[in-house]
This record gives sequence, C-alpha cells and structure tokens, in this order.
Amino acid sequence: MIELIKNPKLNFVGVRRYAFILSGFFLAIGILAFIMVLSGKANLGIDFSGGAMLRGNFESPVSINDLRSALAAEGLTDAEIQAITGDNIPPNSFVIRTKGEGIAADSSLADAITARLHKRFVGNQFHLDSIDDIGGAVGRTLKSQARLAVLLSMIGILIYIWIRFDFRFGVAATVATFHDILAVLGIYYLLNKEISLLLVTALLTIAGYSLTDTVVVFDRIRENLKQFRKRGDFAGTVNLSINEVLSRTLIVSGTTLMAITSLLVFGGPVLRDFALALLLGVIIGTYSSWFVASPIVVEWEIRKPRRFK
Amino acid sequence: MRRSQKITLALIAALILLAIYGLYPSIVFHSMSYEEKAALENTDPQKFRSLRDKALRLGLDLRGGMHIVLEVEKPETGSTSDVQERALEIIRNRIDKIGVTEPLIQKSGTNRIVVDLPGFTDIDQAKKLIGETAQLQFKLTLSPEEAQSYLLKIDSALASAMKASPSDSKAAEKSGSEIDTTAKAIMDMFKQDTSKQTAEQGADEETEHPFTSLIDENTGVAFGIPMTDYEEARRLLERPEVKAVLPSDVQLSWATRPYYRGDRAYQALYFLRNRVEMSGEHLVDAQPSFDQFRRPIVRFDLDKKGASRFGALTGANIGKPLAIVLDDRVESAPEIRSRIRESGQIELGGNASWDDARLLAVVLKAGALPSKVKIIQNSVIGPSLGQDSINKGRVASLIGLLLVMAFMIFYYRLSGAIADIALIINLLLILAFMIIPGIDATLTMPGIAGIILTMGMAVDSNVLIFERIREELRTGKTVRASIDAGYSRALLTIIDSHVTTLITALFLFMFGTGPIKGFAVTLSVGIALSLFTAFFLTKLVFDIRKQYKTLSI
Repeated sequence: MIELIKNPKLNFVGVRRYAFILSGFFLAIGILAFIMVLSGKANLGIDFSGGAMLRGNFESPVSINDLRSALAAEGLTDAEIQAITGDNIPPNSFVIRTKGEGIAADSSLADAITARLHKRFVGNQFHLDSIDDIGGAVGRTLKSQARLAVLLSMIGILIYIWIRFDFRFGVAATVATFHDILAVLGIYYLLNKEISLLLVTALLTIAGYSLTDTVVVFDRIRENLKQFRKRGDFAGTVNLSINEVLSRTLIVSGTTLMAITSLLVFGGPVLRDFALALLLGVIIGTYSSWFVASPIVVEWEIRKPRRFK
Repeated sequence: MRRSQKITLALIAALILLAIYGLYPSIVFHSMSYEEKAALENTDPQKFRSLRDKALRLGLDLRGGMHIVLEVEKPETGSTSDVQERALEIIRNRIDKIGVTEPLIQKSGTNRIVVDLPGFTDIDQAKKLIGETAQLQFKLTLSPEEAQSYLLKIDSALASAMKASPSDSKAAEKSGSEIDTTAKAIMDMFKQDTSKQTAEQGADEETEHPFTSLIDENTGVAFGIPMTDYEEARRLLERPEVKAVLPSDVQLSWATRPYYRGDRAYQALYFLRNRVEMSGEHLVDAQPSFDQFRRPIVRFDLDKKGASRFGALTGANIGKPLAIVLDDRVESAPEIRSRIRESGQIELGGNASWDDARLLAVVLKAGALPSKVKIIQNSVIGPSLGQDSINKGRVASLIGLLLVMAFMIFYYRLSGAIADIALIINLLLILAFMIIPGIDATLTMPGIAGIILTMGMAVDSNVLIFERIREELRTGKTVRASIDAGYSRALLTIIDSHVTTLITALFLFMFGTGPIKGFAVTLSVGIALSLFTAFFLTKLVFDIRKQYKTLSI
C-alpha cells in the first residue's frame, strides 16, 4: 500500500489564526477586484465591454511597432497588439484587440481595422483567421447573465448545504466558496488578466470543486461528531476529520491538477487563461477547505457552544 | 457470480457496445482530415452526408463558422416581436437558399436573433443576406402537365450529361438511358409505390432518371422530395444542363420549409412562371383569423393599385394556384377561388394550425425586411483555427488521461487499474450521451475542457471509496467487510459532494452562451456518469469474487 502520508496528524485547526491573515488578504484583493469590475475599471474582456478582436496573419513580416503606429495613425491608439507563434499558427500572426461599442449599424470595428490594415500595408495582404466583434449591448447582456448565473449558483449551493448540513456549516461552506472565487478573481485582477465570460465559467467551476472538497471534510466531521460527547473536544474532532480525509483530498486535487496542467500546457491559447484560473482555483479550493471552512465552524463553536446529540 | 451480477454485467456490456456503435461514425468522420472530407463529399455525397449527420456535432469554435447576433429596433407602429418574427422568417429563408448545413436561427429575448452558420465564413455575403430588402412576389405556377414535361427534359439532359462524363456519378457507369422510355417510366413512378422497387431497379432508375427518381410525391402543385435527398436534388438542379433546358420564363423554386407526411420530411419543388404578377408592396395588412368553420385563415388587404392588378390577375386565373414567393422561395401556393380586389382571404387547408396562419400573415407583411435590423455581434472562426483547436484538445485530453491513469495504477495498483477502466468507460459514455438523438449536444472547445476536467474529478468517487476501504482494512476488518463498508459509507459523501458541481453546471447551462453551454454539458454529464461507474461498474468488479485473502489497493 502506497500512502502519501502515513497516519497524518497535522494541526490544521491550530494554525487557523495565521491562515486567516492569508485568507483576509485574498478576500481583500478579491473585493477590490469585484468593485473594479462593477465600476468598469478592471480589464474586462471584449465579451463584457464590447469591442473587437481580430486574429490574422500578414504575408510578409511586419513588426509590432509598425503595426501599432499604422493603427495609431488611423486613430486606433488604444488597440492592443500581440504577436503569436506556435506549431500550427501561420507566420506573422497577430491578435489585435480593441474595446469600445464594437459593431455598429452598418460598419463594424473589425471591418474598420481590416480596411485600415489593407490601406497601410499595400502589397502585404492581411489574412483573417478569426473575428470577434461584439457590440456594447451584447456585452451588457452577457454581463447581467453572468451576474445572474453566479448569484443563483451561490443561492442554490447555500440552500443545498443548509438542507444537508445545518446553518453553521452552510455559512462556513459558502464563505469558503466566496473566498475561493474572490481569491482567483483578485489574482487575475492583480495580474491584469482579462475578466471574461470564460473566467466567470472557471470561477463557477471552482465554486463547485471547492465545495466538493469542503463537503467531504464536513461529512467526516459530522460522522465523527457522533462520538463527540465521549471526547468532548470540538476543535480536535474537526482536526482529526481533516486528517482522516487528507489523502483523499490530496489525491483528487492531484489528479485534477494533472488534468488541468495538461490543458494549460497543451490546450492552446484559447483556453490558457481558463486553465490557469482552474489551476489556481483547485489549489485555493483545497486550501480553503482546511483553513477557511473548518476553522469558521470551530470559531463559531468556541464562541457559541452547542450541545451535540 | 450471482444471477443479478450477471444481469448487471450484461447490461453494462450492452451499454458499452451501444456507445461504441453510436460513436463509430464520429470516429470515422472526425479522424478524416479537412481534405479527405472534401474528397469524400465529391465522390460519394450520400455517404458523406450520412456520416456527417451521425457524427458528433462540433461547435462553431471547432469546425469554423460564423455566429451573428441581430437586434431589431422597436418600430414606430406595431410590436418589436412582430418585427423580430418577420426578420427571423426572412433570414431563415435566405440562409436556406445559400445552403449552409445545419444553420441555427433562433430568437433571443424579445428583440434579438441569433444566427449560427457552421462552415460559413464569408462576412460580406452574410451582411448582404441580412441587409437586403426582402422580395415578396405573387407568381403563377405551371400546369402539372407542363411541369412534368420539363421534368422529363431535365432527366434526359442529366442522364446524357452523366453518361458523357461518368465520373460525375457512379450510377452513370451503368447502361445509358433511352429517352423514349423515360416518359412511361415517370408515369409509372407516380402510380406505383416507389418503396416496393427492388434495389436493382432502383439503381437503373437512378441512371436513367437521375432527377425524377428522387421525387416521392406529386401534389399536383409541386413535387415532394424527401429531405434526405434535398441536397442531392439541389446539386443536380444547379447544373448547367438543367438551366439550358428551361426557357427563360420558367423558374424552379423550392418551398420555404419542409412539409411532413407522418414523421418523414419532404421539400416541395415548384415550377413557376417567372413573371411577377404582383409584388408585396401593395399589401397593406395581413392578419391571421378563423373562417366560419373555425379553420385558420389569413385575411389580407390591398392598396388601390394592388386591388386593380390583383382583380385582373385572379379573375383570369380562377381555379389555378397562385404562389406566394418570398425571396425566390415559395411560402405557399393557394388556389384562386374567385376574383379578389381590395381584400381577400387565404385558406390554409385541413392540417393547418393557428401558428401556420400567423406565420403566413407575418410573411405577407414582410414586403420589406424591417430596415431597423442591425448586427450587434459577429464572430467568425476560420476552419483552420478550428482544426488547430481540435488537435490541441486531443493532445491535452490524451496526456491528461494518461497522467491520471498512470497515477491511479501507481497508487492503488490493481484497484487503480479497475478505476482506470471505469474512467475510460466514463469518457466513452460522455461522448455517447452527446449523440443520443434528441439530445444532440454540441462539442465545443470549453466542452473538451470540461471532459479533461472531468477526468481529474471523475476518479474522485473511486478515490473516496478506496480510501474508505483502506481505513476499514486498518481497523482489522476482513477484506470483504472492508469493501462493503467502504462502498456503503462513501455513498452519501460522494453524492453530497458532487451535487454542488451539478448545481453550478446547471446555472452555467441556463445562462451560458454556446461554447460555455458545451462546457456545462460535458462537465455535468461526466460527473453524473462517474457516480454511475463507481457504484455499478467498479463495485461489480469487486463483487465478482466473494472472498478475498488480500486486496491490491
């Protein structure tokens, strides 16, 4: 039998005060990022902000600076330009991104950009591989739908945990889940990565995953609490439970991380940021089931003890 | 082995075989390169289409194509939803005309229309499709006898063209056609039930009557061609030989949408006089209504100029069908009963519903595509980019799968190998689930990510069980008792812990756009199936032996 840790007796609950500092930091940057997203100051993806993204390649080499000054000369000063390379990507490929109201009644941003490129680089054809041209109205719809999806998911989860466990566990699990979502959002904000629809999808997936971890721990706590009277040590029971399911938590996080890493490394540029968010989420979700969800239950019990049947 | 176990095992085996059988066309189709697909489409279009239709559907992000969202502005008079419906009808009509396969055209909210055009990347043409003014026209149809005589000409022209260049059709390699027997054959065809023909006769039919052999029904006004042969028929009619046979005042037009006989869908082909008898601008209003027998009808009003023109037209053609043509597609062809001037009504026939009447009224009013329709989102993905994503997704899932499987065997030995088998079956069933008729889910790039993520998470159920079994073994229980306790105690935990993921996936599905829906589907199906494989499949394997001395776990 191969075991990661033989008969683990790590003191998770004991170090909760230190963990709270780290968690507090995560929450702080997460809330900051959330406020920035709401006020529109964060780096929103064009699916939320409206705008255009083009991917294409030139027939002969063009430097990023030439491309930038060409677009700037045509009045597109805020366009982001990124050269991309890879196995199956044609040479001289670029991604050009610009935000704004995007597509309008009869002219679109993408059209405007291609037309300008054709005008500026005569004799060096620009071939389009993909276009994403999103009007501000669509962005607003997607934003409100994303908000609704997050809100309803959270309510649904809270209700489920509440039914299956009790109020305290429900609150603790929900706080831990919010913590995870906010932490990843905060990290993305600090890294100035795009807050897009795909990130929201990743965040909701993280919520589901993190809860799976938390529920497994809570389940064991509940089971062990049946013998609580004999032992009389709530914090000890919680810590014991975490240790008992420790190898499961580590193994499943491990296999999930293996799969996500494969996606991150080999999955191509479309899903890179998505995979990165999942990777962070799985790590933070595992952390939070040890250091956020369970300690909250312990603190609550210390302050307002209950008698267990 | 107990009887109940044998039954379970047989059921699982049957399920796996069914999944492999269902996925076989997908494996064949999706392992072909872009060029191979194009080659097959040329040499054997029938086989190509049947493969394509049975294969797992790929989202626009993987196969390339165009996704457009349109918004209709609120008109000064009337409701937005009215304009939305008219625009939808016109766009559906036009897209069908350019022959995009599996287009998706649907309403979104009260003022938007979402259009997905797989494999279509021509933005300029798409803009034209949407921007152009719709043409509503009234045209007379050819008499049945006249239409049939043209059918014969089309047939013989096609047959001799195919004989001249046999590469165009495999069927043409067989004996050539004799024109003088063709007429008789066509008359026969409408008399006898074509399904009774033997395969041999069928092959001859195809050679000598390349076009009429596709026709299943003559409704008197139009010819019904099964939806399965529609693409083939269109391809044939596009040929220059056919155009050469038809005089300039005759025009072939398809119906706007298929009609049904039982559960089989047919597309109707009309022979029309090219002359525009009246155009839609003279229609002032059209409303769905009921006649005195409570059958749905459409009442319409004409302006002054229209009334005099329509009066003359209907007066001279009583008893003949008059085709209502929208953008060169025939919406319907009701018979003229009497002379109509300022206002008239159209009966829709026995099977028509209120919805049919409402739709026809919408079309009659659609003299012009409401000008206040604009494109508010436009995404185009080139086919090469899609293919690139497929390849990347394939590599990422394969490596992820191998990593997880290797780890499980390393850590849990033989039990890990059992979990690995369950994992592979799990993946097989996810894909098989997606092609179940009626579900017809679409695989997108985020969907592939969902599958990859599932591979990591799906072993969770088995890990929980195995860890529990190990714990039970440590307390000194027998192997058998440990296995049973491990499974029964882990059950509730497993269900509890995965419901949360299913809840978030549900809301992602409800609110997500296409690619994200694809993610929600593969993730939730994967998680649900992992519960199934853990509790039926791996349990069964452990239960095959009653007593264990040792357990490789």
